[in-house]
Amino acid sequence: MKVRSWLIVLAASLLISGFGHNVSYGAPYEGYTYNYWGNSVKSPIAFLPSRVITGNDAGTGAWQSPLDLYAAHNGLLYVLDSGNGRIIVLNDKWETMRVIQHFEHEGKEDSFLNPEGLFVTESGQIYVADTENRRVVELNPDGTFVRAIGAPESDVISDTFEYFPRKVIVDKAGRIYVVGRGVYEGLIEFDSDGRFTGFMGTNRVQFDPVDLFWKSVSTKEQREKMIRFIPLEFNNADIDEGGFIYTTTADKNTASAVKKLNPSGIDVLRVNGEFAPVGDLSINRSSFIDIQVSSNGVYRALDSTRGRVFTYNEDGNLLYVIGQLGNQKGTFKNPVAIESYGDAIYVLDRDLGQITQFKPTTFGGLVNEANRLYSSGKHSEAATLWQEVLRLDANYEMAYVGIGKSMLREGKYKEAMTHLKLGNDREYYSRALAKYRREYMREYFGIYMTVAIGVLVSLILWRRIARSRNERGARDVAN
Amino acid sequence: MSLIKEIKYSLHVTVRPFDGYWDLKYENKGRLRVALLVLLGVTVTMILKRQYAGYVVNDNYPLSLNSINELKYIILPFLLWCISNWSLTTLMDGEGKFRDILIATGYAMLPLILINIPNILLSNVITLRESSFYYLFDSIGVIWFVWLLFIGTKTVHQYSVIKTISTMLLTLVVMGIVIFLGLLFFSLIQQIISFVYTLYQEVALRK
Repeated sequence: MKVRSWLIVLAASLLISGFGHNVSYGAPYEGYTYNYWGNSVKSPIAFLPSRVITGNDAGTGAWQSPLDLYAAHNGLLYVLDSGNGRIIVLNDKWETMRVIQHFEHEGKEDSFLNPEGLFVTESGQIYVADTENRRVVELNPDGTFVRAIGAPESDVISDTFEYFPRKVIVDKAGRIYVVGRGVYEGLIEFDSDGRFTGFMGTNRVQFDPVDLFWKSVSTKEQREKMIRFIPLEFNNADIDEGGFIYTTTADKNTASAVKKLNPSGIDVLRVNGEFAPVGDLSINRSSFIDIQVSSNGVYRALDSTRGRVFTYNEDGNLLYVIGQLGNQKGTFKNPVAIESYGDAIYVLDRDLGQITQFKPTTFGGLVNEANRLYSSGKHSEAATLWQEVLRLDANYEMAYVGIGKSMLREGKYKEAMTHLKLGNDREYYSRALAKYRREYMREYFGIYMTVAIGVLVSLILWRRIARSRNERGARDVAN
Repeated sequence: MSLIKEIKYSLHVTVRPFDGYWDLKYENKGRLRVALLVLLGVTVTMILKRQYAGYVVNDNYPLSLNSINELKYIILPFLLWCISNWSLTTLMDGEGKFRDILIATGYAMLPLILINIPNILLSNVITLRESSFYYLFDSIGVIWFVWLLFIGTKTVHQYSVIKTISTMLLTLVVMGIVIFLGLLFFSLIQQIISFVYTLYQEVALRK
């Protein structure tokens, strides 16, 4: 009888704990970040899916393999419906405002053929990388044709060059940068008149001594069958307010999957963390297919391997990870483009033909706000928010560093050391230690010196006494 | 000789190696228990170093710290060195017995303790910019150890300088061979066991 009642209690408790388990897994994916040693640690979920829209919901009929998305400054969302060769403009209530499918070009009706990239300038001019037509098309905000920019023409380009523009970005001065398919030389740059001016931001050739060894010992026939050393091609790009171009490379082995190019094409991406922004640190690494720069240097990269969005701040610290491949709301089948507007993130899914909108949770909002204050130098305001972040996630190393730095400024060196140690920032820890050490010595130097001198003097005295006693003893023996 | 005196003597070996190692061998002043004590001391200081070295120079992941590792990184190499050295020097007319080699190697490791303990204390009060001192002392300890090992090997086996150096380098090669043979042995044993087990399964399931 006793045994049976025990069993019932056991079964009931198992059942209850099982329920609890299910409830806590309401979100379609898990939140995590990486710690100093590169281990993934759990973290609260920063963004949750709030809305999903398909072509049918927008009233335009299903979207056929849409490939790009653009959130303009006025809140309009441009979807590039590649399979149908049209652009759909949604307003902030997600109602279709305009569908651009045909335009008049040299007196004839013209349309897109498998366009892959879309860009909208601040004044609303629409640039489309019309891939199969081998041109970049510029349209007015109302969809009327302005001009088409064809293949680059120059002596430096070989005759076998095949021009298939995949992505296009335009800077404030009207210069046009094109990511071409199979173009290893970097971004193709046109001036505002559409004339080719050169390539920029070439990826370096990856050098591997092991490969070099095998190449040097293999025969000519073997060598021809090996992969050739070629620089990696860019697969996407975005431009920030300061005119810096962020690019992504799909290669899984590169350490610089993300680059921030300055106007002369040099990579100036800041990597303050232990790891460069490469996504997951597992063996099967992430491959980024789109990047989006939002305000104050925060950028998000979309990974096609596992369908995750990695958000980094301007120092290259991973803020949070959201999303996953799957079949639920908020997960993707084949994500291809990412955009953000306000505090929302939009991810376009090619196979499902839908856009998912994500809104920040309490945690995500706190992290965003704390990071904004932190990167604008308001360390003490940021520190109070970092405290809140820590209450939700005690694994969040950046928060410890943020609090530590603010305490260092306030002169609380001992507390700063504790926080900087938890946040694994050795450089600032060392600074706090130096300050603390000086303060400590100023306070206790007198006491330590008094004790040391006292010990020294008594030691000398003791030895002298002992020696004289010995001598006296020896004299006594001699006498 | 009491243990205290023996330990005092080991310190003498550390600072006056030529004289010390000579007496160690020919005056029979070396004690195996001191050598093993030093080995234990090195193991303990290494564990302390991993755990308590100052944060600025200590890059260990706390969850991966495991004292058993010291068996792998100190005790095993020590024994491997002694065995390899003995195997080699018996073929190369070395005068040292296995016990002599154990004692000489053990005494040679004393500087590692002498340097490590103050270094651990120091590392807790230095900043990142001063951390080069920590690494400097660390390498001084290692160089001192190698120097003593050199004198020890030379005295124990009565070798010339060139022969001592070549013997020490060859010992490293022999250590590699021993590790290789060990791994080969284990892998073969594993295959034999799995073969026998498969055979057993084959017979057992054939009823």
